[in-house]
Amino acid sequence: MSTQTPPRYPFAWTPPMQVPEALRHVHDSSAMEVTLPSGDVALLVTRYKDVRALFADKRLSRNIARPDCARISKDNDLFMDPNIDPDPPEHTRVRSLVTKAFTARRIEALRPYVQQVADELLDEMAAGPQPAELNEAFAFPLPIKVICKLLGVPAEDRDRFRGYVDGFLSVTKLPPEKVGECRQNLWKYLGDLIESKRENPGDDLVSELIRVRDDEDDSRLNEHELHFWTQGLLIAGYVTTASQIGTGTAVLLHRRDLVREIQADWSLVPSAVEELLRTQIMGSSVGTMRYAIDDIPLSDGSVIKKGTSVLLSEEGANVDAEVFECPFELDIRRKENHHMTFGAGLHYCVGAALARMELQVATETLLRRFPDIRLAAKAEELPRALGGFMEGFTEIPVEW
Amino acid sequence: MRVTANSETCAVSSLCVYRVPGVFDQDEDGLVRILEERPAAELHEEIRRAARGCPTKSIQVHEDEGAPASPTAPA
Ligand code: HEM
Ligand code: SF4
Repeated sequence: MSTQTPPRYPFAWTPPMQVPEALRHVHDSSAMEVTLPSGDVALLVTRYKDVRALFADKRLSRNIARPDCARISKDNDLFMDPNIDPDPPEHTRVRSLVTKAFTARRIEALRPYVQQVADELLDEMAAGPQPAELNEAFAFPLPIKVICKLLGVPAEDRDRFRGYVDGFLSVTKLPPEKVGECRQNLWKYLGDLIESKRENPGDDLVSELIRVRDDEDDSRLNEHELHFWTQGLLIAGYVTTASQIGTGTAVLLHRRDLVREIQADWSLVPSAVEELLRTQIMGSSVGTMRYAIDDIPLSDGSVIKKGTSVLLSEEGANVDAEVFECPFELDIRRKENHHMTFGAGLHYCVGAALARMELQVATETLLRRFPDIRLAAKAEELPRALGGFMEGFTEIPVEW
Repeated sequence: MRVTANSETCAVSSLCVYRVPGVFDQDEDGLVRILEERPAAELHEEIRRAARGCPTKSIQVHEDEGAPASPTAPA
């Protein structure tokens, strides 16, 4: 046992646009202790093989609202809700009500809408001054409009809920009182939304969930779960996708050669999108916190002891040389890219197919519309969003 | 090759459906369904990739079970 304080996690980013330098040294063993922003210590599992297996391991509970589980932040009860059971079978019961809205057919039916929104946003950007700021002009409004349409949330409300969501996802950025206020406001906002949809249901996912909830012969969803999943879908539905569109695009624009390659062969867009996802350039894996309810052996022979707080390092798995050839190189033609950026197992990202489609449309539309688009700032000077759940670039000036 | 899938463990990632649409499909709830249990040889490599990429390991590839019409010798 070492007496030193374990290294801090999330790891510090290595400018200009690379994954943290620390990731080059994480595979010597299966797992390492890290110190979270709260000061608590958790075990970070880093090898692909282990990360992938543990995402599907029922001995890791996703219920982290326990007194002896490490906390991500001391100012925020991030991902803790004592009224929700996030493990099977309770979790599976609710999840299956939601996933049916994310089949390949339903996602493809949304593609023309996403294309239309992307075109409109880029028309506006073209008509405005240069440089433009990519996050506000494109990366955020696109997934916000899409998730609003899917859930039936009025897109005009976005200025309101974005402020609440920023507070909700604060790790160290905001003081606890402010975080609490945002959480309460968000919960109340969603309660009002649900009530108004109860009166005027539409052709959207929240209305569908309300119908299940209010059907007396159907006991699959209670009121708190309805509320909780609406909140989760709204937040997860744009925060991650927006960061990936903005920050992933910045990484791509920094590599003019790759932009040219894609522009010469648009069929590269899907594999380029996967490769940018693999770099996990917009955040860490603090959201994967779990708690071991039993001893679990790892591939190097060590054992996760019952009662340990565990993080599954997607970014670590994604640069494991046992699985990915030249893991620190950006290879937009990678054929087999089963990265862990959307997790795995029974909590696999519900919105992965939607996010992939949005990223493909966003990337292709942007590079077609502005063939010479480039960063209007030094890559090493792009500021990162530190102190929140996502750590993508906060300002991405572009010109064309 | 014969391919089977376990819809009970499927997480509705839709990955297999995008990769090999003629072989994998989804039911109304999004759970995996096999359209072609003994797919043509030119699809085999993509099907193996789909199986390796399934986030819940719900796809099984039985390599040594050839198509009934033209059985392939075990490798
Ligand atoms: C690039 C974009 C995205 C990334 C990187 C991402 C990543 C993830 C990851 C890693 C998980 C698993 C967490 C864990 O196991 O602890 C997850 C779960 C989830 N994601 Fe996403 N996500 C993205 C977009 C979306 C979108 C667009 C939606 C909604 C429309 C969404 C909804 C969800 C939900 C509801 C869960 C919880 C699933 C469960 O617990 O069963 N995500 N996401
Ligand atoms: S890849 Fe696996 S989890 Fe995804 S839809 Fe196919 S069978 Fe289901």
